[in-house]
Amino acid sequence: MANEFLNRKLTEKEKEGIKKQAKEIMDNFASKLSEIKKRKKETISEKEFERKEGINNKNFIDKEIMFQNAPNKNEDFIIAEKKKW
Amino acid sequence: MVDNLTTEKKLQNYLDEIEKHDKRNNCINAFIYLNPHAIKQAKEIDKKIKEGIAKSLAGKILAIKSPICVKGLLTSCGSKTLRNYKAPYNAEIIDRLLNEDAIIIGMANMDEFASGSSGETSYFGPTKNPKALELIPGGSSSGPAAAVAANFCDIAIGTDTGGSIRNPASHCGLVGLKPTYSLVSRYGLIDLAMSTDTIGPLTKNVHDAAKILKVISGKDNKDAICQKNIEINLKKIEETPHDITIGILDFKIPNKNIQKLIDDQIEKAIKKYEWKTKKIKIDKIDLAIETYYPIIYVEAFSGTRKLDGRRFGEKIENSCGPEFLRRILGGEEISLAEHGGQYYRKAQNARQIIENEFKNAFKKCDFIICPTVPRLPHKIGGQITVKEMYAYDVLTVPFSLARVPCISIPAGEIDSIPVGMQIACNQFEDEKMLQIARCFEKLNE
Repeated sequence: MANEFLNRKLTEKEKEGIKKQAKEIMDNFASKLSEIKKRKKETISEKEFERKEGINNKNFIDKEIMFQNAPNKNEDFIIAEKKKW
Repeated sequence: MVDNLTTEKKLQNYLDEIEKHDKRNNCINAFIYLNPHAIKQAKEIDKKIKEGIAKSLAGKILAIKSPICVKGLLTSCGSKTLRNYKAPYNAEIIDRLLNEDAIIIGMANMDEFASGSSGETSYFGPTKNPKALELIPGGSSSGPAAAVAANFCDIAIGTDTGGSIRNPASHCGLVGLKPTYSLVSRYGLIDLAMSTDTIGPLTKNVHDAAKILKVISGKDNKDAICQKNIEINLKKIEETPHDITIGILDFKIPNKNIQKLIDDQIEKAIKKYEWKTKKIKIDKIDLAIETYYPIIYVEAFSGTRKLDGRRFGEKIENSCGPEFLRRILGGEEISLAEHGGQYYRKAQNARQIIENEFKNAFKKCDFIICPTVPRLPHKIGGQITVKEMYAYDVLTVPFSLARVPCISIPAGEIDSIPVGMQIACNQFEDEKMLQIARCFEKLNE
């Protein structure tokens, strides 16, 4: 049996197995949570606040690095779609 | 001059240790990427120290966990998909640390997208526990914990969603602090689960943890939930509070030796400080893992929709390892319209109950104490089931669901393996929690 956690390239068959296993885990957890019947009264109150918008000069996004990260790009824009969606 | 060494000399000593033991000899594998500008920055800090204008973190050398954006440095999240990703901006906490003259030595290894409790799921390979090289260091902040424990840096910054700072702090013999949810800005943090993600320090002592929290906490308009300032007074943390009631969590763990270490520490505190005790029972705490994971699966799936391989990296489903794939495929499945939200809704319902239980518990006691992790760490690469892995966090997850502050501090050792104890206070009582943690730390000085 392969280790369940060590990072490795997965085969399509392994991916299918993992999907099935994930569903089983969630079903098992959901069934245990079904023991809880009543929802108790909520006590959290969300405070309203006013968000200040604006550009912080220290935190501007570096476009040069952003373009280096992009796999598909033209001179001044990132190619995002190209029939991939 | 800091600790009789210049910042540059201290940094060089750490870099020498990393050179000797991170990828060779002990092969700790704590770092993914070292900061090429660190030496230059250390020289600038030394100049400031000489001129008497240095700030509170001058001379401190920090490792940063790899989902936290540091401009120009590799911010890989321990993943294949972001293995070449360089952050185009600084996270808010990074700006705050740099403003106080901290030096960043490098980006630390981690479980892939913070999904793991062992440090084994990184694309860059597992991290070793410097205190016991054949064992896991804990996760997901495996690299940050190992970096501090191996003496590769002074302090590390990690992230904690369900125990990811506290768990490795416990296994590596460190102090690990998870602040109140929303006290520290998450701007610039590549998220795992937005409803529980927090950022905090891993340190060699409580004082350093307090010092870091003082710098990184407080209102930030770039993070919609981070809207509150609280006081962290470093002098007050040294004072011993009186008329304190310890809440001892009523939760049985299978390893009696671990529980005994914690019980011994409580006994010592009762004797020295004359504190009272009360047993605290939290209803539904036994369902915390079942509550936590559906929420994490759904939020991880949602959070990774940006990882489609268009603007950066590769499509996540084609490039991640087994544990992260389990989370996103599971999250995708239970988010389907045909399930009508039943998994997520049930989990949120249980979370609300657990959160309310903690609120009521903190009316009866000043803090709650328990072991951080219920078992000792396993061997790297050893066979362990998914349920066993998730159970590592059985005592950290409940507090994350309740969004309260927690700290893990060393309680002792079993067969030379460190064991931590966890202290939790009510929401936004982070200063009080640090004060209590310091009291326990003083018992062993």
